[in-house]
Amino acid sequence: MRTRTCWLLAASAVPGLLFAPVFGLRALVLPVVAVLVACWAAVELCERLPALRPARPALAFLLGLLALTGVSLPHTTFHGLPTVDGVRALVAGFTDSWQLTLQSTWPVRPEPELLLFVPLLVLFAAMAGIELLRWPAVAVLPSLVLVALSQAFVAVSGVWAALVALGYAAAVAGLLSSRAARGAVVPTVALCLVAGVAGAALGPGPAFSLRDSRSAPAALPRAASPLSEVATRLSNPDEVVFSHSGGVPVDRWRLVVLEDFDGVTWTPPDRYHRLGVGIGPPPEVTVPTAAHSARLTVAGSGPWLPSQAMPAAVDGVAPLVDRTTGALLAPDRAGPVEYELRWWAPEVDPERLRDSGLSTDVVPGGLGIVPPGVADLARTATGGARPTFRTALVLEQYLSREYRVATGADLPTGSGWPQLRDFLLETRRGTSEQFAAAYVVLARIVGIPARLAVGYRAPRPPAGGPVVVRNRDVLAWPEVAVTGVGWVPLDPAGAAGGDDSARSPLERVTAAARAGLPPPDRLPDPPLPPPTTSAEPGPGFDLPRLVPLVGLGLLALLAVAVLAVPVVKAVRTWRRRRLTGTRGVVAAWCEARDLLRAHGAPVTPGMTARDLAAVADRSVVDGLHRLAAGLDVALWSGAGAGGGDVAAAWSAVREIRRALARRPVGARLRAVFAVR
Amino acid sequence: MTTQPTRAGEVYERIAANVQRVVRGKPDVVRLAVAALFSEGHLLIEDVPGLGKTTLARCLARSIGGTWNRIQFTPDLLPGDITGVQVYHQHGEEFVFHPGGVFANVVLADEINRGTPKTQSALLEVMSEQRVTVDAVRHDVPRPFLVIATQNPIEMAGTYRLPEAQLDRFLMRLRMGYPSLEAEVMVIISDRAGVDPDELPAVVDIPTLQTAVAEVRGTRIDTALVRYAATLTAATRQYADVRYGASPRGSIALIRAAQGLAATHGREYVTVDDIKQVAHPVLDHRLILTPDAELRQRGAADVVADLLAKIPVPVAGAAGA
Repeated sequence: MRTRTCWLLAASAVPGLLFAPVFGLRALVLPVVAVLVACWAAVELCERLPALRPARPALAFLLGLLALTGVSLPHTTFHGLPTVDGVRALVAGFTDSWQLTLQSTWPVRPEPELLLFVPLLVLFAAMAGIELLRWPAVAVLPSLVLVALSQAFVAVSGVWAALVALGYAAAVAGLLSSRAARGAVVPTVALCLVAGVAGAALGPGPAFSLRDSRSAPAALPRAASPLSEVATRLSNPDEVVFSHSGGVPVDRWRLVVLEDFDGVTWTPPDRYHRLGVGIGPPPEVTVPTAAHSARLTVAGSGPWLPSQAMPAAVDGVAPLVDRTTGALLAPDRAGPVEYELRWWAPEVDPERLRDSGLSTDVVPGGLGIVPPGVADLARTATGGARPTFRTALVLEQYLSREYRVATGADLPTGSGWPQLRDFLLETRRGTSEQFAAAYVVLARIVGIPARLAVGYRAPRPPAGGPVVVRNRDVLAWPEVAVTGVGWVPLDPAGAAGGDDSARSPLERVTAAARAGLPPPDRLPDPPLPPPTTSAEPGPGFDLPRLVPLVGLGLLALLAVAVLAVPVVKAVRTWRRRRLTGTRGVVAAWCEARDLLRAHGAPVTPGMTARDLAAVADRSVVDGLHRLAAGLDVALWSGAGAGGGDVAAAWSAVREIRRALARRPVGARLRAVFAVR
Repeated sequence: MTTQPTRAGEVYERIAANVQRVVRGKPDVVRLAVAALFSEGHLLIEDVPGLGKTTLARCLARSIGGTWNRIQFTPDLLPGDITGVQVYHQHGEEFVFHPGGVFANVVLADEINRGTPKTQSALLEVMSEQRVTVDAVRHDVPRPFLVIATQNPIEMAGTYRLPEAQLDRFLMRLRMGYPSLEAEVMVIISDRAGVDPDELPAVVDIPTLQTAVAEVRGTRIDTALVRYAATLTAATRQYADVRYGASPRGSIALIRAAQGLAATHGREYVTVDDIKQVAHPVLDHRLILTPDAELRQRGAADVVADLLAKIPVPVAGAAGA
């Protein structure tokens, strides 16, 4: 019992640790080991005190929860004892933590409220497995279900898949090496290895993740758009908004990025997730990136936190993040906060940036109903050139050249089409809000993927102190999507720039690209990219990728088909074992009959146990005769069968099973997978 | 339910031990023969010469402490030799009944197929009626009354095959079969040692046997088994190769024989194995196959074996297992 329990706990630990890509291995080890040790303690206690044996599941459950509370929720305990808060946290672990995990970027922060569901699942799998240890092949199932669940969260692949399969196969082999289940060792281990090798064949990246198909965006709080506050803030210019200090110059901080425009309002995308331990650069950024950091102290209240385009991690607060815009959101913030922000910045030279194309993967946002004259203005501003980054710079220069930044008390407000039409065609005077919004709509008209960001410009850093950002620094700016570089901010209002020392590296590169731009009348249309040979119309699927997928699907089908037979048999045996009285004895006979039939005995409907003994292998004859004697009494004597008779019948079945276990491996394998 | 041997079981043990002093290597045949005795049924032992048919019949007859007669059937045997005749006595000036060979507890009808149909009919009538009527006077045969007939299935010249309707009167038809090598060695040794069937002592007296027979009649049989036996018999009537299947008398015989067999095992209840074990001896001789089946060398035993394999055995009160 003890050895099998050890193997079972090992088999339950493996799927628990398979959540490592989500939480990190270090965060998982302690709670998983704690619940398994608790289960072991429960088993040991019941072995020593047989009176406790009926309560073993409850004991394991209680000890597991106590251990988990001590390890993961020490702050909820009172002198080491669990409290109501601890119970609430555990209940939330059952109900909410897995959902919170799906709402977060991965790897998630190793916080108990997110992590708890993993050790709880391991606890359940171990408990169920221990109670099913009488049938080792069935006892594997809970851990197998947990493996499936962990793989649904994030499927391991590559070398890790093979290693995990080996580990799990070793644990399962240990568990099944008892005499009763020895026949299932080889197929189970083989299947684990096949699954592992199949996972390894898929390549190094995550093969599948529930997060991809079941992404759970966090609820967006109701808050005023920072864009509508631009004029208000400008009217109270000296109020401190936040301060920052860091090693690298920063020329602007974003609060929110607005993509959708219906002609009246600009709205941000609703794609916020909880920010986990950290996130890497977006996959569409192919140029080298450098990591920077700064410490920010944000005064006042409000949900939006200053951020950069590609945030990597935040320490000090646990915000929501929109990975595509970089916006950070702290829905519950009610006062000043201080945090350290790390972010990625692309490193690109001016020539390359200037010659870059625009991303074709980005779907430009809406425009609403474009007023007459605006489309002509857009074509005039860009000289009818094809949309490239140069065209984007030309448009920026056009706005800078032809329009004036409004200053003073009577500042224009609004960025809907009425205000933009006035700005573009009549007043030609506006704040950064109108400049940015006008740039985005004009860019979208000529096919440049653009979006509107709202935040603050950073003033020149004082010597030896933090940079203090005030209301007067509020700024809206457009961003265009450049292939391989990501979203590049532009400044059509010319309000962000100071001298080079106050500019961020990307802004400096953009300024250099802007400076090297030829005059608009001599702007060459960049050459078209060479036609790709693979552009011919095909059947619509990628054969080299399809083949391994189809192979994997077939393999999975085969595995299911092969596994289904022993699993169904195990369930059938389990159900038979639960029968009592005469039905229990007959169930034992049916089990023996099916066992022998699987081993090739010629069974017919008219056979009795004695008939079967006459044609079966000599090694099982004694067991069959004992079974026949029990059947005779149970069925025909009129006395029925008691618990002892049922036990004796199943004892005969075990004897038959032991006799069959001495057959050659090949014959036993065939019997395990025989349909009947 | 007791597992102690019943009184009938003890009786069987005594008879079997006695018979097997002479008839070696045939415990199953001996058991079936005693089962027929317990069931008050008559026995037809059929096989080639030299396999111990007559010896078995003689041993069985000698083991029972009642009277026994041996009638050697020949073509010139008359019905009166079987049943008995009225003889006029001059002294008493009356007809006195002289009982024939059937007036014994155990009647050994040797080579019954050598008798004429008329003679055979006389015996078969006594077997079913258990009495003889001569000149309108009824004479009951002693109880228990067991006829053990033997016949030789080969050398058909000069024989009169028993009609199927009359075969039905026999509870069982047994075939001795050739003994195994070991059994044959034992037969030779016992022959050399001079164990004569006629020297066997009677090991069971008539009252004891009658008590055992009464006990066998009360042997428990589950309704599911009765249904199984009826299903088996009915299936013989629907089988494609069978022209005439077993009659309801066959079903009754199946149950009675199974009860007898259960008693030989010392049990107070019949099991499905009992029915299956007596199915061939009880049913084989009651089936008349189609000419086509006979041309295909198919026998009644094949039919019964096929039905035994195909008809699901009952599991009383255990549905769903």
